[in-house]
Amino acid sequence: MKEKIQRFLETDTLEKYLLDDTTREESLKAERYIAMYPEVRKVYNELQDNLEIFAKQYAKKTPEGLKEIILHNVGRNRKATKRLYRYAVAASVAIMMLAGSAVFFWNQNQSLQQENTLVTNKMKNLEMDMKTQLEDVRNQFIVLNNPDTRKYAVRGKKEGKELKAIAYINPVKKLSYINVSNVPELPEDKCFQMWAEVNGELVNMGVIKQFDDKDKLFALPYADDGIGYITVEPKGGNVSPTVQNIVANIAYQ
Amino acid sequence: MASLIEKHIVSLLAEKDDKAIALLYEHYGATLYGVAYKVVKDEDLAQDILQESFVKIWKKADSYDATKAKLFTWLFRITRNTAIDKLRSITNKSDKEVQIDVSDVYNVGVAGLNPDFLDVKENLGKIELKYQIVLEALFFQGMTQQEASEELDIPLGTIKSRLKIGLRELGKIYGTVTLLLLLIKVIL
Repeated sequence: MKEKIQRFLETDTLEKYLLDDTTREESLKAERYIAMYPEVRKVYNELQDNLEIFAKQYAKKTPEGLKEIILHNVGRNRKATKRLYRYAVAASVAIMMLAGSAVFFWNQNQSLQQENTLVTNKMKNLEMDMKTQLEDVRNQFIVLNNPDTRKYAVRGKKEGKELKAIAYINPVKKLSYINVSNVPELPEDKCFQMWAEVNGELVNMGVIKQFDDKDKLFALPYADDGIGYITVEPKGGNVSPTVQNIVANIAYQ
Repeated sequence: MASLIEKHIVSLLAEKDDKAIALLYEHYGATLYGVAYKVVKDEDLAQDILQESFVKIWKKADSYDATKAKLFTWLFRITRNTAIDKLRSITNKSDKEVQIDVSDVYNVGVAGLNPDFLDVKENLGKIELKYQIVLEALFFQGMTQQEASEELDIPLGTIKSRLKIGLRELGKIYGTVTLLLLLIKVIL
């Protein structure tokens, strides 16, 4: 250990460290040796004392007024530092506020964008609905006004005896509509459901509601020699018609 | 061992009390001014350097670590480095303005020594000239030991040993003279 310390003292690291001429690594090494070994610490302290002695030899009377200038400069610097500190605090607050505002506006922007997408989608859906409805009204107009349209009175049977409906079928325009004018009362757990047979397949046309739909024309899918059915089904409708519960049928011939 | 005044100044510096600067100036101002002057050899420039150094001392007051260096060592490093930086910037500037081949920054030798130096106060500086030259080159001219070796045409090993011996001799002389002064004081 002593050899190691001796070797270190023989280098000029300590002298260089004294003058702040060491590299970062040398400084760390010097500081480590000074902290760990009393012998090195003693030499370093001696070097420091001797440096002070050496420097004091060159002491020179300072000019008159220099002290006041220095005190003034330091004072000014202190004020500037304080001012800078205040500005830094103000700037920090401003930055925080700006950051807060930025987050707030970003959130606002995001929610507005979402809302915008929602509104756009709604508008598109409305447009599509309007187009569908317009098409429907146009077709109804054609069916009701076209001389080629045939009108069929539909009467119910079984539970739907009181069911009255008029079917409008136009083989030229290939359009068919039905107007259910009277819907008999059914138990609460049952409902009327319409079906259309198109190319051998039964297509669900939906449930006929009790009152609201009396003046409404339901579009039926057209098929040459097609047949429409009305069945009694459990409340809410069925996925396939119950054949034995057919209360009316409409042939498109 | 730090003196009471040194401890007081250090505590004032830590508290960022500007009384520290007045005390520093009173106790170390002349020495630091001498250090600056020794490096730049110009009074006006030395005054600028001292001002700049005190502002740096004030700014760096928080970073002073008494476990790493005595107060004077720390003050000396700041002043010396400020002076050397200033001298180099001036030399670089004049080198750019006028193509001078030889800079006087490292011109240390007997001719470069301040005559004041040879008349050291209280005869404290009576170490041999060969040591003084080496110490001056390293302490005041900002030379590395290698640079001092080349500039002074002295082997590197000799530079190292003269630095060590020079500093040690200073300690001895100071110790002896202090003892003598104390004895004289007691006798009188």
